[in-house]
Amino acid sequence: MNEPDTGFFEEIEHTADLALRCGGTSLEALFRSAARGMYHLMGIETRGLAAATRHSMRLAAEDVEGLLVDWLGELAYQAEAGGLVFAEMRFETLSATRLGAKLVGRPIRHIDTLIKAVTYHQLKIENVGRGYTATVVFDV
Amino acid sequence: MALLTPARIGPFTYEIPTDWRADMQVPARLLADPTILKAASADRSLEQLVNTACLPGLVKYALAMPDVHQGYGFPIGGVAATEVPDGVISPGGVGYDINCGVRLLGTHLWREEVQPYLEDLVSALYAHCPSGVGRGGTLRLNPKALRQVLERGARWALQQGLATESDLERTEGGGSLAGADAGCVSERALERGRDQVGTLGAGNHFIEIDAVAEIFDPAAAERMGLAEDGVVVQIHCGSRGLGHQVCSDYVKRFQKAIHTYGLHLPDRELMCAPLSSPEGRGYLAAMTAAANYAFANRQVLTHGIRLGFEQVLAGKVANHQVFQVYDVAHNMARIETHRVDGRPRELCVHRKGATRAFGPGSPGLPPEYRDIGQPVLVPGSMGTCSWVLRGTAAAMEQTFGSTCHGAGRQMSRRQARKRYKGARLRQAMEDSGIHVRAGSISGLAEEAPGAYKDVDRVVEVVHGAGIARKVARLVPIAVIKG
Repeated sequence: MNEPDTGFFEEIEHTADLALRCGGTSLEALFRSAARGMYHLMGIETRGLAAATRHSMRLAAEDVEGLLVDWLGELAYQAEAGGLVFAEMRFETLSATRLGAKLVGRPIRHIDTLIKAVTYHQLKIENVGRGYTATVVFDV
Repeated sequence: MALLTPARIGPFTYEIPTDWRADMQVPARLLADPTILKAASADRSLEQLVNTACLPGLVKYALAMPDVHQGYGFPIGGVAATEVPDGVISPGGVGYDINCGVRLLGTHLWREEVQPYLEDLVSALYAHCPSGVGRGGTLRLNPKALRQVLERGARWALQQGLATESDLERTEGGGSLAGADAGCVSERALERGRDQVGTLGAGNHFIEIDAVAEIFDPAAAERMGLAEDGVVVQIHCGSRGLGHQVCSDYVKRFQKAIHTYGLHLPDRELMCAPLSSPEGRGYLAAMTAAANYAFANRQVLTHGIRLGFEQVLAGKVANHQVFQVYDVAHNMARIETHRVDGRPRELCVHRKGATRAFGPGSPGLPPEYRDIGQPVLVPGSMGTCSWVLRGTAAAMEQTFGSTCHGAGRQMSRRQARKRYKGARLRQAMEDSGIHVRAGSISGLAEEAPGAYKDVDRVVEVVHGAGIARKVARLVPIAVIKG
């Protein structure tokens, strides 16, 4: 469930806002890739950060896309309001409608780009055989 | 699938009829010239406009202004009116930055008078108007004060001695919209809003000191206190983290509502609920509260600007006072009365990246603007120019009293970061005599003028179509960004 990451993310073109294509061999890997991609868009560096803060998160949504929006929204909020970035993300539960995670992170000093919100625009998590992919549009 | 090619139905008007797609409820209209139409066809703007035309209960047509560009759900530059109470309200039709808008402040100063003090003035404004991602300000409101901000807007600032009565009169809706209910705003949104009143934020938000470069309508300009070579100040920002949270909360809540009310939408970001439903009423009350927060935010920033002008210019110029020209929202849903088929109807007008542009004689305008129409503020891209326009009767007839809100992006932020370097851009602006103070250099690159459409072309379309008239063109002399 929390295997070493085999996920990816890449920023893709969007005229007004920011968009990310991400994927992973499992739903957990996809959610982690999406988080790291969003941190990348925000200009937050996650490599080499020493662990400092433990945090747990529980979320519920209508469906898995809603869960991804809530997950990223919560991380963006923690970064902006709490000044925290999570370098380690372990999922205890990740179903189509529920997420439970243990997170380890540390304080950050600076965010380059503000994510106002994570949108549902054309959001669809697709099972592509070898794993899952999604495209997420962020309001900035 | 056939190419989406809107038909030209007027000199600056293009239409996509309802038979283009089976789920369209009304036609989709775009205000454009051929160049703008071509740009709109290059991304997903038109597809998003067609999607918007699928909302239940729309009146007449879904509209896009000439600064249209691809957003999420609605296109940016979108206007959609729904019938009250049976139509829907859509948080995606307002956007996450509720009541993002522009305020224009006038001064009694000439450009050459200010020039020697410009650097000090920029430093003072930067100090008095906190900016940057997640940055709080000097005010930390207790729950009671925050509730008052949400329910009274800029009127709260007046009660704190941070505004004048004239500031409020010269603000859309008097800067204090009725119907706000702080009880509909989540605890998290309240927490995010506690220390951000009087802060600029980041992204494309800015404070700009401008000089009036050209006057097109002397009578209207005089009424607004604008003269050639006079100095003015623009503020562009919104409801900060509180507004973003209100929208996110209701977007999530509305995901259930679309099932409850059996709504079928082409994009989840268009989610909506009937205005008469508990969800719809809750969102309208929360959105109105966030809108009031934004009016209070721009008002406290105005106070900061006044402090900066006083600190630097008092005793050095004849009159350093700053007065309000107007403050107008460009991300908002308002309940308004418009004439449709010859009779007045109460509508919920969504403007997402579109500005209210009420014509002469419209209710709510202060006496000095009653016969010229509402001032419309159209900021251009950073370092180029901005426009002051006025609303028209034609806008009332054709666009539910709406017009453009800016230049409109034409290049993604990613492309802009690749093509432009923030440091070089800042140097180029400094070389052309524009002082720049920015918290983020990469953010500066994303806002490069080349990433935006030509605002002059956008303004030519709205002027030509008659949905706003030119009053004055502004050029920047100093830019402050988060």
